[in-house]
Amino acid sequence: MTKIGMMSFAHMHACSYAACVNQLADAELTAIWDDDAARGQSMAKQYKTTFMADMKKFLASDIEGVIICSENVKHRAMTEAAAKAGKWVLCEKPLATTVDDAKAMVAACKKAKVGLGTAFPCRYAPTLIELKDRVARGELGEIYAASTTNNGSYPGGWFADDALSGGGATMDHTVHVVDVLRWLTGKEFTKAYCENGRLIHKNIHTDDVGSVHLEMDGGLIVSHIASWNRSKSFPTWGDVTLELIGEKGVIEVDAFNQKINVYSDKQMKAEWANWGGNMDLGLVQDFVAAVRERRDPPVTGLDGLRAVEVTVAAYRSVQTGKMVRVAS
Amino acid sequence: MNVAIIGCGGMGHMHARMAANAGLKVVVCGDKFKRKADALAKKFDAAASDDCMEVITRPDVDIVAIATPTPVHTQYVVAAAEAGKHVFCEKPFGRTVHQCKEAIAAVKKAGVRLFVGHVVRYFQEFEAIKAQVDAGKIGRVGFIRTYRGGIMPEGEEMWFRDYDQSGGVTFDCVIHDLDWLRYMFGDVDHVFSQHLQRSTPETMDYSQTTLRMKSGVIANVIGTWAHPSGFRVKTELCGESGMIQYDSAESPIHAMSRGNAGAGPGMIVPSSPVPVSPYQLEWEDFVAWLYEEREPRVTAHDALEAVRIGLAALQSAESGKPVFL
Ligand SMILES: NC(=O)c1ccc[n+]([C@@H]2O[C@H](COP(=O)([O-])OP(=O)(O)OC[C@H]3O[C@@H](n4cnc5c(N)ncnc54)[C@H](O)[C@@H]3O)[C@@H](O)[C@H]2O)c1
Repeated sequence: MTKIGMMSFAHMHACSYAACVNQLADAELTAIWDDDAARGQSMAKQYKTTFMADMKKFLASDIEGVIICSENVKHRAMTEAAAKAGKWVLCEKPLATTVDDAKAMVAACKKAKVGLGTAFPCRYAPTLIELKDRVARGELGEIYAASTTNNGSYPGGWFADDALSGGGATMDHTVHVVDVLRWLTGKEFTKAYCENGRLIHKNIHTDDVGSVHLEMDGGLIVSHIASWNRSKSFPTWGDVTLELIGEKGVIEVDAFNQKINVYSDKQMKAEWANWGGNMDLGLVQDFVAAVRERRDPPVTGLDGLRAVEVTVAAYRSVQTGKMVRVAS
Repeated sequence: MNVAIIGCGGMGHMHARMAANAGLKVVVCGDKFKRKADALAKKFDAAASDDCMEVITRPDVDIVAIATPTPVHTQYVVAAAEAGKHVFCEKPFGRTVHQCKEAIAAVKKAGVRLFVGHVVRYFQEFEAIKAQVDAGKIGRVGFIRTYRGGIMPEGEEMWFRDYDQSGGVTFDCVIHDLDWLRYMFGDVDHVFSQHLQRSTPETMDYSQTTLRMKSGVIANVIGTWAHPSGFRVKTELCGESGMIQYDSAESPIHAMSRGNAGAGPGMIVPSSPVPVSPYQLEWEDFVAWLYEEREPRVTAHDALEAVRIGLAALQSAESGKPVFL
């Protein structure tokens, strides 16, 4: 039985990960630590585990791996503390809000000889696995261009507070697709240009739409929309879409478009109920296996770092008004 | 009023039909290839010639409709103006800003009227979007994403595939959205764009453009001439209190043919029948202007601005830099 702990439920994905741990026969959700004690207690109750208020005691326990779902800027400190205590780490995306932080996290885990994984569940979405297989089989030949989106509804709270999040929608919704494209093509990002701003929501103080232009090795061109532009009335939370233009053809993917349309008078809003596979389960399962076998999780801290580099470059482009190089 | 068609390819045929629907008479057809002029003229019982300058100056012609490849719009606009004819010109208005200005100066000097076919302003689905936005249904709009294209067109002598002539998907096809976005959201401040414009091993173009409007609004504009088949238009608008989406793939009729054995999988042609073609609506708007009934929805200045934005996008894609208008 692999013992897993959770650090912070600030990011709502924590709920799904906790439920996944509980679903696995070979893992146990041993304890929750949270710097918000009230939240930690209520989550411990909900996921039938223990709440520990003291991080030191939590990390001194026999937990083998931790899943970190804090506010973005706190990822580094928690990862470093967990690594020091010899715990395997699965960290919510974005891995960090600066390249320095992300590098420090990778270095800390390397030094402590623990595995570090970045929570990029898209790699476990059946539709994207199918896409990866098709690309690997050469259906597209060389890929020349990709137009992608990761739209979402407005998450509110700390997500819109740059001091805790490191940035708005561009920070939140660039990394998933960046990771998927790296995974699909085996190429790295070289250049970034970005236009963003607060365009949709009144009275918030961060960007809610980012239009990001990227280049990958060999000149592959990418246009990506990172947004919180889905209205409350929209039938679902958002999307991950990709249109890939290749030498031999085109593939268009709407990754979560496995849905039924639901029209409920109780809701007075059309809703899409998704029946696709639970990608979080694969992610958590692989993390637990990595912990048990004392190896790196398949989606590593380095993958997280690479995605951070692209996002940071996008923000740098906004500041300079130019296309900038993605530093690595 | 009598119409001369210059350029008897795909759009020449379209405009001959639409001008007739709008109550005009097609009296003569000109094309650099006599056979193409003949083929169209036959349908309208009109005269045909491969001497386009002669066609334009015929005394019985009141309106010249120009549907030649883009770089040869201006020479015919100028000739028509000098001959005292009103002009309908296909989009893009010209291949360069200089050409557009030359055309505008010529019609001004001659005192004739010039209409440029930015037909998307007349498409019912785009009208419906505008009506919802104008009614305040989604509040202030902050972000728009448009998508247009499909298989790469060829055109006579493959002129669409010569990027110097057509400007590729960005300048030839996406210009529809560039104009519509400016019509809806005002002038553009700057443009960033990437494109393929490939010629080997396959000829294909694909373009990705971001417009920053003077108002701050962002528009992401995707254009494809990289698809193996089909044609699709998508538009999404995001506002402070809602969203609007349109996708031509969600059309009311999908017809599949069992008949084209050997031709590979039957192409599915989505179809959305409307009472009046938007191409007819633009002609009716033009004609109403000629009869002093109203100002048209598209002005020559609008068409020039669309060309400017399109050229800025091409320049950005070449330089890797944002281009300010
Ligand atoms: N509004 C729309 O929806 C739409 C759609 C397609 C094309 N267009 C525009 O319409 C114009 C024509 O496009 P098309 O698809 O009809 O192309 P096409 O190639 O089918 O037709 C062009 C015609 O012009 C003739 N031509 C070429 N050079 C000439 C010259 N120097 N003098 C006289 N005739 C000449 C050709 O022989 C051909 O018959 C282009 O500017 C294009 O961008 C608009």
